Amino acid sequence: MSFRDLIREALRSLESNRGRSLLTILGIVIGISAVIAMTSLIGGIRNSLVESLGLNAARAVQISCAYQMKPDDVDDLARLMPEYEAIEGSAFGYTQIKNGQQTIDVSITGANSTFFQMTGALRLAEGRLFTTQEESSASRVVVLDRSGVKALFGREDITAVGKTVRIGSSDYLVVGVDERMPNTGSGGNSTYITVYMPLETVLKDFSGGYAYLTQVVGIAREGVDVDALMETTKKQVAKVMSIPDDQIDDNVYVYSMKSTIDSMTGFMNSFSLIMGAVAGISLLVGGIGIMNMMLTNVTERIREIGVRRALGATRRDITLQFLMESAVVCVAGGIIGTVLGYLLSWGLAFAASTFGLLSSMGMSTGDGTTSTLAPLVSVEAIAAAVGLSIGIGLLFGWYPARRAAKLDPVECLRSL
Amino acid sequence: MDIMTIEHLTKVYGEGDTAVRALDDVSFSVQAGEFIAIIGSSGSGKSTLLHLMGGVDRPTSGTVRLQGQDIYERTDEQLAVFRRREVGLVYQFYNLIPVLDVVENMTLPVLMDGRSVNDKRLNMLLRTLKLTGREHYLPNQLSGGQQQRVAIGRALMNAPAVVLADEPTGNLDSKNSAEIMRLLRDSNRQLKQTLIVITHDEDIALMADRVIAIEDGRLVRDERIRQVPAATHGGTAAAFPSKGAR
Repeated sequence: MSFRDLIREALRSLESNRGRSLLTILGIVIGISAVIAMTSLIGGIRNSLVESLGLNAARAVQISCAYQMKPDDVDDLARLMPEYEAIEGSAFGYTQIKNGQQTIDVSITGANSTFFQMTGALRLAEGRLFTTQEESSASRVVVLDRSGVKALFGREDITAVGKTVRIGSSDYLVVGVDERMPNTGSGGNSTYITVYMPLETVLKDFSGGYAYLTQVVGIAREGVDVDALMETTKKQVAKVMSIPDDQIDDNVYVYSMKSTIDSMTGFMNSFSLIMGAVAGISLLVGGIGIMNMMLTNVTERIREIGVRRALGATRRDITLQFLMESAVVCVAGGIIGTVLGYLLSWGLAFAASTFGLLSSMGMSTGDGTTSTLAPLVSVEAIAAAVGLSIGIGLLFGWYPARRAAKLDPVECLRSL
Repeated sequence: MDIMTIEHLTKVYGEGDTAVRALDDVSFSVQAGEFIAIIGSSGSGKSTLLHLMGGVDRPTSGTVRLQGQDIYERTDEQLAVFRRREVGLVYQFYNLIPVLDVVENMTLPVLMDGRSVNDKRLNMLLRTLKLTGREHYLPNQLSGGQQQRVAIGRALMNAPAVVLADEPTGNLDSKNSAEIMRLLRDSNRQLKQTLIVITHDEDIALMADRVIAIEDGRLVRDERIRQVPAATHGGTAAAFPSKGAR
């Protein structure tokens, strides 16, 4: 029998017992949708947590040194350490803007686009980051966040890109706006905002001649062992900054989020596994439903089995025929269950976001806005769900199918 | 020419005190193209004999040779292939697969063999069996006579060496019985198709070339009524597609 003939016959047989088949499919649907909903929801929570730390948080290495580093030192370090995809420094500036009675305290973060991209510190809602040209020529360009737009233009929903703002003694062109609206911590007549400019611009306009970097961050290349890299980084920083070996530990500090993220991911994975196992129990019940249905089918169709065998079906043919029926039930249940599971996880995620469950779980992005939870939809998970349902079908269909195949055809033909 | 030789065929069901000797040392041979009627009371062992001749069961001892070869020397797998290709089975209760339509039931042995259906042969059979127009009816949409015609179609689809029928008219009225017997006899006469029919019906037994009686598992009578006629291949009355159309 060709595969197509087998499937066609399986569908016909299931169709002829529609009620029983649908109930069995329902069992699998519940099992698969529970597994999908649980794993995708937990995957989504994990991703939200990781994202709130910055996309590359696991590969980011923070470097600081008692002897303050300059841009040239960072360039030297980058040349010495090809293990890093990029090493970037940022500088800090501060100024005040008087606006009538109002005083705005402006904290300025100076760094190049690469720095913002790798740390995930900026999430642009409008405009763009700095161009290489603007970075190398210390152009007077600035990225604001929503609080900055509100403080400087009066309203947060104004289109700021393309306008200029006066910060300190010069005018700066707004090229981008960050989507977030951090707490401005305004007290009395002063407001506190943070703005972002290219590194060279900050060093030129706001450093008062001390061109030191306040923060240096490296992003390790994919696959590099971050723990080992941290050790070599210490030594290389010491070399660049001419720090003697015996003073390295006192003067050079290297820090990574990796171990924190690792333990968090590990926790989420075990959590996912436990919840998946709980959901898996309902899948097991669904599988037993299949076995039950197939055993009933075999008993009811004992005469048909005898006829097929008498007409020349081998035991293998009979096994395949009944296995195909349970596989079809499971694949149908798997497909419906996957769709239902995702709908369920989106519904739960929506409910969690709406009722503020995420904030209570400590899942905020650190700037006052609650992150929205997007369940993790992955091809792997779908493939695993469908694979799992076929597996369940074959596993629980095997015993009834073998029982059918082992029947004596003459006995089958004799029964009525 | 003998197509089938049965020697010392014995079948015992069960063991020890509960053992039942369903068939006891039965021997006879079948000529190619012969029409044999097997008669006997219920439980005499007729059906057991038929199943053993068709390779559906395995004997306790003895041999069934088809064209000189003992069919029970084959493995289960080979025996299944033998049933598909060399034997056509027709039962009293039609035994059609309820979820398959007329054509699907008729072509089941071909599909099980992994071969493609010979449409020409299928259409000729449908015509001869007066099933044209009902190709896609399910068994429960057909009358008993129609269902039995589908079963005959299924048995003849592979142009088997031997057709074995177990009380093929036992569940039909006299008009349908006559029709079914005419079809089986036509295939026997026109194709020189060997036909072995179990029956309770004296009229049917009288149509046969030879009558074999079984009682308590033993062959008690083997009587030739008439000589096996020569095949009328290509004759004007050839309603059945010849073996060449297989």
